[in-house]
Amino acid sequence: MEDVASRIVDKAMALGCQDAVADVVENRSYQIRFARNEAVISNQWRESNASVFVVHGKRVVASDIRDLSKTDEAVERLVKIAKTSQANPDYAGIAKGPFRYARTRPDPKVLALHEGGKYVEAAVGGALDQGAKECAGSFWKYEDEHFLATSNGAEGHDHRASLYLSIRALVSLESSGHGIACASKLSQFQPEKAGQKAGRIATLARTPKPAKAGRYTVLFDPLIFGSLTDQVGGRLSAWAVLAGLSPFGKKVGKRVASPQLTLYDDGSADSIARKRFDAEGVPTRRNLLVNKGILKTYLHNTSTAKKFKTKTTGNAGLVAPDSHAVFVKPGDRSRDEIFSEVKDGLWLTNTWYTRYQSYVTGDLSTIPRDGIFHIRNGEVVEAWKDIRVTDNLLHLMKNIVALGNETEQMMWWGEVSVPNFVPYALIKDVGITTSNQ
Amino acid sequence: MNAEMDLVDFAVDQARSKGATYAEARYEKQDPENFILKNGVLDALYVGHDQGIGVRVLVNGALGFAATNSLSKDGVRAIVGDAIKIAKASRRKTKITFAQEDSIAMNWSVPEKKKLADVSVEEKIAEIQGVDRDVTQLGFKIAARFFNLSDNRIRKFFANSEGSRIESYSPRLRVFYFLTVVEGAGVEQTSRNYGWSGGWEGISSWGLSDRVVEEARSMHRSLTEGKKSPEGKMDLVAGSQVAGIASHESCGHPTEADRVLGREAAQAGKSFIPPDGLGMRVGSELVNVVDDPTIEHAIAYYLTDDEGVKARRRYLYKEGRVTEFLQNRETAAALGTHSNGASRAVNYNVEAIVRMANTFVEPKDHTLEELLEDVKFGVYMKSFMEWNIDDKRYNAKYAGREAYLIEDGEVKHPVRNTIVELTTPAFWSAVDAVGKDLDFEAGFCGKSDPGQALDASMGGPPIRLRNVHLR
Repeated sequence: MEDVASRIVDKAMALGCQDAVADVVENRSYQIRFARNEAVISNQWRESNASVFVVHGKRVVASDIRDLSKTDEAVERLVKIAKTSQANPDYAGIAKGPFRYARTRPDPKVLALHEGGKYVEAAVGGALDQGAKECAGSFWKYEDEHFLATSNGAEGHDHRASLYLSIRALVSLESSGHGIACASKLSQFQPEKAGQKAGRIATLARTPKPAKAGRYTVLFDPLIFGSLTDQVGGRLSAWAVLAGLSPFGKKVGKRVASPQLTLYDDGSADSIARKRFDAEGVPTRRNLLVNKGILKTYLHNTSTAKKFKTKTTGNAGLVAPDSHAVFVKPGDRSRDEIFSEVKDGLWLTNTWYTRYQSYVTGDLSTIPRDGIFHIRNGEVVEAWKDIRVTDNLLHLMKNIVALGNETEQMMWWGEVSVPNFVPYALIKDVGITTSNQ
Repeated sequence: MNAEMDLVDFAVDQARSKGATYAEARYEKQDPENFILKNGVLDALYVGHDQGIGVRVLVNGALGFAATNSLSKDGVRAIVGDAIKIAKASRRKTKITFAQEDSIAMNWSVPEKKKLADVSVEEKIAEIQGVDRDVTQLGFKIAARFFNLSDNRIRKFFANSEGSRIESYSPRLRVFYFLTVVEGAGVEQTSRNYGWSGGWEGISSWGLSDRVVEEARSMHRSLTEGKKSPEGKMDLVAGSQVAGIASHESCGHPTEADRVLGREAAQAGKSFIPPDGLGMRVGSELVNVVDDPTIEHAIAYYLTDDEGVKARRRYLYKEGRVTEFLQNRETAAALGTHSNGASRAVNYNVEAIVRMANTFVEPKDHTLEELLEDVKFGVYMKSFMEWNIDDKRYNAKYAGREAYLIEDGEVKHPVRNTIVELTTPAFWSAVDAVGKDLDFEAGFCGKSDPGQALDASMGGPPIRLRNVHLR
């Protein structure tokens, strides 16, 4: 497959392109979806394609070539189309290789795993043991292999494999909890623990009461805090800033969060999305994004970096830069300590449907789901239901008052789009609204 | 006979010979093309040529699905083996069954007056640049703007072990735009989405430039003349866009039978409507909400679904009561009924699940003026920006983008960020009049794991709600 990537690049350059990138990907992922406590369908993929990026006279064309036996024809077609397109004056090339990459290898035990039923059973069993009645979710074995070549001398191979399980446990329609298990090593995969957490929250959320709107001190469980930090990571893409899709515009060097928050992006660290290189072939690395509340940089590819007079952060996607994996530096509070700091507030465990009224100001709302708890003096008083967090991303980040001393890897169905390593987070003055009728 | 249908037939035969009690195969070839014009600059053009085959089998009451883009008999043999193997490994206690449906032999396609394949990249770019140029000449600051034009040509070949054999062709066109208007310290943002099944002629059906210019002007007017939205109980006239999103979110989604049965519980969620909830009252007697894949030129137009079932119009809510769930063959069997052709997949490599198509409030007889003239005090919310709804589809929020105060039946100044935060029954029960002018917008509907963001449209006429709480 290295040959295929190189052949695509060579062909594009022979046809007069100024830059070309080909990332040939073989996908061999496997999934079990489950609902009502058992598998509803199992899925297996055997796919290969080449993600291709060619530039002819600053005219940028991206594509996926599915038929790898006819790459020459496909590249000819792309270059022909590129010639009829328009130049992008902001295009500034791709990174100059060659590069050296970290020698990471997937866990052979993950690669050898071809049946996930026992992990589903472990998760469901864990939830039912805690009192749940009904469980749903998915188990994934992600496996893909990348062969990258660029016209600037980058050549790389990256075999990625990891395990993932998401489980929602329900006692009733309005009493539910969610748990996540992520691991790049089989020995670290804990589906039963995820099921237990989901079941425990669901049971604790029995007979929820209508909520009272207001402003509260809120303890965010790692899964929901991951939704917020995922927003931060995504909105720090320089592309998002330029498109008016970010509240972080013109804020580099300024305070965007409380001094409690230090946050970085790191595609090179161990996570279920670890990768050796970005879409330009630049080695992934740790990039400090927010240091003690001060914004340090956006996420860049070569072109956005030039526009912002800086260097690429190794976060190139095929067209726009994006986060690989978000890490929050843990705080100093144990779980018990951070709970005990909630004198009269809420503990939220999950959310979905985060939407903005204005991306530029950061005004948003998001709807907590699964366990919602009223806390007094660190203890759960009762479960609530039907609330909405109506606030502002910057306001939320600036009002972080404490972070837990342990992080968990979270990723979940759209809301947490890349792995986010997050602790419990205590945030004051959070707007909570409810349906008025 | 063509090679694609041969391969599909081969897959089904292979699956049956290896023990599947039911098998289906779906070959898809998609030719997407799209670009983003960001702040006047063409960011990148994307051109795809995607094809592959997916096989779904039922073995011992369990489902297995496997997909490949290796379009050889060996490739297909391999995925059939995968699908059978993983289905057998499922060890289900309860057996999945499919509702019995008529088998179909059919070949349908959406006509194109001007074929998308014949439209050059230059022509497409020029069209959008023209709109961009118009909107930048309005004399106020548009801080950021991007337009995304995308089209796709989708060819499918479907066969199942019950004798259905269907070939179809759907060309689709879509324009999405996002604008940021700044005035002093104020910011207004909007995103709109238009879709079409058919050829390039769709681009002129929207009057895109006029719409975008009008939208930008209304954003600027909101910033310069807009006042705080009134709070408290009052009347609300919700424009077509608001009626459309509400019909999609709080009528379409809660009537998806897979959601009702808990199959989506961990992702898109469940439903406040229980499995025995047909007949349940959710709105006033004026509320009819329809999902219809057979509306010509609507972006989610189709005549057969991805399980080979004939498509038809579905009344989700009729006279304010739940009347029908959206069904595929699996959910229909579980609920003792028949599929109504709502099973769709975003591509060959994912299973088909229950989906909405074109969902809308059925029009009645009022003009917009008639809806407004009877309002003593209230808000006309023409469009929205922020919206969301909980995972049981009961608590929804729509935040106004373009909205105006109504006093004594007259539209007054713009009001900013009007918030409608109501339960589903509270919203629909407050409807006391329904307009006659139906309009649609396109959207992507998200569901399933792996996520399937699927073409959908939503619409309605303006509707009037009495005495609802606004902020």
